[in-house]
Parts: sequence; C-alpha cells; structure tokens
Amino acid sequence: MDVNDITFSYDRRIDRLHQVNAQIQPGKITTIIGPNGCGKSTLLHVMSNNAVPRLGQVILDGKTIAQYKPKELARKLAVVHQQNEAPTDLTIEKLVSFGRLPHRTLFSSLQAEDEQAIEWALDCTNLHEKRFSTLDQLSGGEQQRVWIAMALAQRTPILFLDEPTTYLDMYYQLEIMELIDRLNKEHQLTIVMVLHDINQAIRYSHHLIAMKAGAIIASGVPDDMITHDLIRDIYGVEVLVRHDAEAGLHLIPIGVGL
Amino acid sequence: MIAKPSTEYSNLSSSKSEQTAYTHQNRKRLWSFIVVCALLIGVVLYSAMTGSLKVGIWQLIQGLWTGNDNQVNVVRDLRLPRIIVAMMAGAALAVAGVLLQAVMKNPLADSGVIGISSGAALVSLIAVTLFPTLYFWMPLFSFFGGALACLMVYGFSWKSGLHPIRLILIGVAVNAIFSGLGQSFNYRGSYAVTSINQVTTSTLAMKKWVDVEIILIYGGIGLILAMLVYSWCNFLALQEKTAKNLGLHVTRTRLLISVIAVILAATATAIAGVIVFIGLLIPHIARQLVGSDHKWLIPFSAVAGALLLLLADTLGRTVLAPNEIPASIIMAVIGGPFLIFLITRSDRIYGR
Repeated sequence: MDVNDITFSYDRRIDRLHQVNAQIQPGKITTIIGPNGCGKSTLLHVMSNNAVPRLGQVILDGKTIAQYKPKELARKLAVVHQQNEAPTDLTIEKLVSFGRLPHRTLFSSLQAEDEQAIEWALDCTNLHEKRFSTLDQLSGGEQQRVWIAMALAQRTPILFLDEPTTYLDMYYQLEIMELIDRLNKEHQLTIVMVLHDINQAIRYSHHLIAMKAGAIIASGVPDDMITHDLIRDIYGVEVLVRHDAEAGLHLIPIGVGL
Repeated sequence: MIAKPSTEYSNLSSSKSEQTAYTHQNRKRLWSFIVVCALLIGVVLYSAMTGSLKVGIWQLIQGLWTGNDNQVNVVRDLRLPRIIVAMMAGAALAVAGVLLQAVMKNPLADSGVIGISSGAALVSLIAVTLFPTLYFWMPLFSFFGGALACLMVYGFSWKSGLHPIRLILIGVAVNAIFSGLGQSFNYRGSYAVTSINQVTTSTLAMKKWVDVEIILIYGGIGLILAMLVYSWCNFLALQEKTAKNLGLHVTRTRLLISVIAVILAATATAIAGVIVFIGLLIPHIARQLVGSDHKWLIPFSAVAGALLLLLADTLGRTVLAPNEIPASIIMAVIGGPFLIFLITRSDRIYGR
C-alpha cells in the first residue's frame, strides 16, 4: 500500500495532513506514533477511505482506494476503530458474523465459508467460550477482542487498528498486543496501527512512522530511528533511551523538556 | 505467555450459564410472538362480534361463508374494513418507527413526532381538496408529504453526521410547521373541509373496502420491503465508520430504509389519519421482549402494532357506545402511562 502526497483538511481551510508520503510493507507491523492532534488517526482514516483527501491518493494493489467499491475494499482491508458501539444484547457470535458482510449479498444466508471464517476469528481472539454471551457481559479487554474478531472475520490481508489499547489496563493491553503479534506472525497479516505507548510501539512493530503537526518527520526500523532528540522533538519529553539484552530498546520518560 | 487471571473452571461454568441465558432469550422471543399473535386473533374476533350490532362467532363464520345473513353482511361491509385498516395502520406505523429509529439511531424517532405523519397529512389534505377524484392515489400524495418532512429533518439536522438531539429538535419543529399548516387549512371554512376532516383527526370509522385495498397494497409492499432490509438495520446500529469499513453503503442504506419508513407512515396516515405514539411505544416494548435484532424486531413490531391499534379502536367504539372515542386518543391515554412504566422499570434493571 502506498500513500502518495496526501493533503487532507476537514474544513477546506486548515490542512490536517501536509503532503504525507508513506509505504506500508506487506506482512509487517507498521505503527504510527505522535502526539495528540498530530494527524495519526486522520492518516489512518484517509488510508481506510473513511476520509477523502483534498490532494494525493492512497494506492492499494495498483488501484486508488477511492476506486474500490465498498465491499471490494472491505475484502482487502479491515479496520478496528478506537470506539465502537452496538446493541448490548447481541451475541458475540452474531456481532462477529457482521464481519462477513463484504462476502455476502443482502439475501444470502451464512455459507460454510462464512461459518469457517467466524470460527477462525473466534479462535484467534480466544472468544469461543463467549460466543453466546452478549456485549454487556464482557470486560473491556474482551469487548476489544470482539471488535478485532469482527474485523478478522472479513478475512482481509490488511488490518488497521486505531489505538487498540487505549482505555485498557496493563494486562489487557499486553493481551491485545500479543494477539496482534500472533496475527502477524502466524497469519501473515499486514498490520497498521496507531499507538500512544511508544515502548509498546517499539517492541511490537517492524516499522515506525513518527508524525508531528500533520507531517511525517521520521520513519524506519525502531532500533535505528528512536533517539533521544527525536522523542524530544515530537513529544517535547525528555527520555532516557536504554538498550539492554532482556528488554531490548526502551524509553524511560524523565520529564517535560523545557 | 502470561497466565490468565481466571481459571479454566470459572470460564467453563460462566459460558454454560451464558448459553442457558441465550436459549432463555430465544424462548422468550418465541413466546412473546405466540402470545401477541394469539391476542391479536382474540381481539379481531371480539372486535368483529361486538358493537351496536352483535353477532355470535358461528353466525359470523356462516354468514361470511354463505353471504346470506343480513346482519353479518352489515358487519362485513362496515366493521371488517375498519378492523383490517386498523391492523394494517398499526403494523405500518410500528414498523415505520422501528426503521426510523434504526436510521436515525434515536429511540425518539417516530413518524408522528418528527413530522412525517403531519407532512403526509397536509399534502394529502391539499391533494384531496384539489383533486377529489384521485382518492386511490392518496398514499402517493401522502408519500410526497412524508418524504418532504423527512428530507427537511435530515437536511437541517445533518452536520457532518447525525446528532440525535439536534435531529429530534428539528423533527419537532418540522412537525409543528406541518401540523400548524394542516390546522389552519381546516379553519379556512369551506364545504370541502368537513368531507376530508377524517384525514387530520384520525378516526377509523367509515372505512370501506376501497380503503382496505389501498392500505393492503401500499402497506403490504412497505412491510415486505421492511422485512427484506432487516440486516441493513442491524448494521446501522454499529458506528457509521465501522459499518462503512464492513463495506456497507451507509448513506444509500439510510436513504432506502427512510423511503420504506415514509411509505409505511404515509400510507397509514392517508387512510387512518395522524396517530402518534405507536411508532414510539411498540418498538420500545418489542426491544424489551425480542431484543434488538431486526430479524425479530420488525415482524414482532408489525404484529404488536396491529394488536395495539385494533385494541385502541375497539375500546374507543365500545366503551362509550354509541359515542366513539378516536383510536388516537385512546392510544395516547393508554400509551403515555405505559411508556413511563416501561422506562422506569427498565432503568431499575439496566440502571447504572
């Protein structure tokens, strides 16, 4: 997937993204980082055709994503949004089956292939035992897994996640990150996500894109890219950059830079 | 790997109890359906037999079969059309409410509240005054009125997305405009007014077989279309961008479902007049009984809506016989307290 010269604005006056260029490598985990309001979620929206750029285009398999029919795009690319809503009395199985929409017509019933995809999605997210539960019976972490399962049921090669760990406690955050890691390793999914926690981003990504004020200011392999100066530049935070055998590269924030 | 906080055993037992809850929910749905259908049949029979002219059940069946019984012939010509019209109008209004609530994501969206019914009533009032011969096409004129109101509600409340409160406020304003215009039309004092008064004041009296024909055709089409799009209604309950990323044409879907809702509401209004509340009350009850899956919600609301309006109309013409209370008034009198009861009760269950 190629992002070419994207300029985007919500109101046609202030550009939220300025000539953004990026390449998403297939089969890798790419994470977009940056401070609040830097345009990282906006970029993800543009890349998933939820927002139409003023200039530039996003090209997927030789076609701009605007040229795709909605269902056609939904067979290539699934998105887990930051906030989700659904009637709380629907069963998990039913919600996950919604992910089969791009593979069905309005009147067709669930085919064997659909059932398999649903089972697979429930397997990956470890939700088999919860299939007859309803959304309000699940914890926050489990609910997030339901949304991921719904996206997985689309059986797309590409999965986008917008801040999948926000609002979750440490256990569920790691659980989601490990799930994403597994999906990438075992099922070769191309993953693009937005994360706030830089240490998680460093640890689980093959490729980082750092944004500030609507532009990409650095991108590359975490180990090469993350420096004390870069973090101070994008977040305005002083950090110690540590590298040790057990934890790998990690950052310890020590204060707000002045 | 990190150990799970909950043990395998507790997981297993909780999933078992949740599965029982799930089958319990299924059984509740089925029973709700059976009970409402049985009640509907009961009320239809009671309604057909009772009134200023009383007939027994055997007399009724025999008379309808042979066509020789004069008393039954009167019932057939006067009472049966009224029963069918009441049922179809109730079903149409309830389903229109379900559809509008799905599209607008707001439990207050009802064709009577947001002006679709009054828009439909106004335009059909004008049409019938200008072209009295086009009676059969009344629902068509109503449809344009309803669609106009619906477009106004969307047009004025849309601001890069649906805002539930804004939408209801605009809807109430649109309703005020159209019902005000409709009432001023009544005050201009002419002979035509008395003959078309029934359009605005909602009485189900004096319904003929031609009305039945109209409401069965237009209403039937609307109800069938509504059933066909149930899965779309379910997808609309998700967040808009989520539905879009699943490959749904969200705007097109919203538009189509709105058109179906307007067909239903406009047909009911053209034949039975403005009846508020049913599209508010029935979907709310239905969600408590059969859940929010539209596969169940739409047909259940249709049956329950038919039951409620027929019941209201039957009560209205029997309680103070020979005087009649319009069904819409009975609806408001029963419906109001019942809705309050339901809302306070459900707060106790789901209250946080």
